[in-house]
Amino acid sequence: MNSSFGIRHIVQFILFVALQILLMDSLVLFSTGFCFIYIAFLLFLPININRVLLLFLGFLAGFTIDIFYDTMGIHAAASVLLAFLRPHVLNLLTPRDGYDTKDSVNIHVMGWRWFLTYALLLILMHHAAVFFLETISLESAWYTLAKVFASVLFTGIVMIILQLLFFSVKRANR
Amino acid sequence: MRNLFAFIYRFRAFLIFVLLEVLCVFLIVRYNTYQGAAFFNSANNYVGRVLEFQSSLTDYFRLGSVNSTLARENAALRQEIIRYRLQQQADSATILADTMYVKVDSATVAPFYLHAGRVINNSVRRTNNYLTLSIGTADGVKPGMGVIAPNGAIGRVKTVSEHYATVTSLLHSQMLISAKIKKNNTFGTVKWTGGDYRTAMLDYIPLHIKPTKGDTIVTSGFNTVFPEGIMIGTISSVEKELDKSFYTIKVKLAVDFAKLSYVYVVENPKKDEREILEQNAGIITDEQ
Repeated sequence: MNSSFGIRHIVQFILFVALQILLMDSLVLFSTGFCFIYIAFLLFLPININRVLLLFLGFLAGFTIDIFYDTMGIHAAASVLLAFLRPHVLNLLTPRDGYDTKDSVNIHVMGWRWFLTYALLLILMHHAAVFFLETISLESAWYTLAKVFASVLFTGIVMIILQLLFFSVKRANR
Repeated sequence: MRNLFAFIYRFRAFLIFVLLEVLCVFLIVRYNTYQGAAFFNSANNYVGRVLEFQSSLTDYFRLGSVNSTLARENAALRQEIIRYRLQQQADSATILADTMYVKVDSATVAPFYLHAGRVINNSVRRTNNYLTLSIGTADGVKPGMGVIAPNGAIGRVKTVSEHYATVTSLLHSQMLISAKIKKNNTFGTVKWTGGDYRTAMLDYIPLHIKPTKGDTIVTSGFNTVFPEGIMIGTISSVEKELDKSFYTIKVKLAVDFAKLSYVYVVENPKKDEREILEQNAGIITDEQ
């Protein structure tokens, strides 16, 4: 377990959370498109990571964001939900002959179709949870739905850009 | 017994998921009330330092607008001083040796103290918005105090640490501010309903009043948080709905919450006395 969960993921955690708090916090498009890029940390973790560990990491990431956003519990709840659903989505998307040991969440290794389905599905779950927990009521459901879809697109595009920029083909073959 | 353990082990991921979600829901219910004291929030010392670092970088881009706000405020203050001086000169003739001044209204002799603070974290586009200020208990800030900007009311202090304070903004779905229409002293409640951060609603204005577009809305001074007469905004539209006994009034807020840089925390030295009195009398309001 320890071998696959190395310093690289700790660095990723710090980078994504810093990116979220320092930059994405003030970057809101048309007051509907929010970018919660910190969940990229959870999505980019190794495929065969322990489920229990993943749940705790989800809680940790969400809780850290909650402290800075003053939204105690909302992001934590959504991230734990994401962490719980991730193994199921991965099972659903298993390639015909199963995952290789060297497979990782990487757009070059797994292909565009696999990555887009995987990322957008989980981002949608997470964002829907965040925005509906925030309003609690279903009063302004249409506005909330608009926020969810705009934000899923925004976060998804930023995540693809990050993949293309920093997850090179070479590293994937290592 | 062994079967039980085997069962728990088999579903450990699901059980931990449920446990963590229950914990999260507890946190949401316990700490997301707009006034309840929270332990983990942006008033935390370390979090405050990160936010202060961020705002020390972004503040440079706003120096222009900060300067012009401060200059405008200085001008307004100077004008007020001149007015008082003139008043004093005009009044001095009437002060006679045999006149005794009786302090009638205790509100006029108890001043409000203002503590200036820099805004280091701010949001306007969420459903529940908060601010973080770089002043705390060391500067005399306490939970529950009102916060105003040079041009209007901002919100109320939620929690305080030694050097930082979080403020529930007027742009919070559960924040109610007791307000009145300046021209005829009709009082109502200002509430933000989400969406556009420049408009709020003024509720509970009865139908026999005739509010018009452009009327000024100020704080009522009916509680200890804000002094009376702090600007909130101007009426931008008035509608009469058939099935309601109150007007639907939209208010254009005087403060542009997206451009806040320096604000004042209002300290009312007679707050405790008045609150204890009102509490003993059984009057409890949730308006600010």
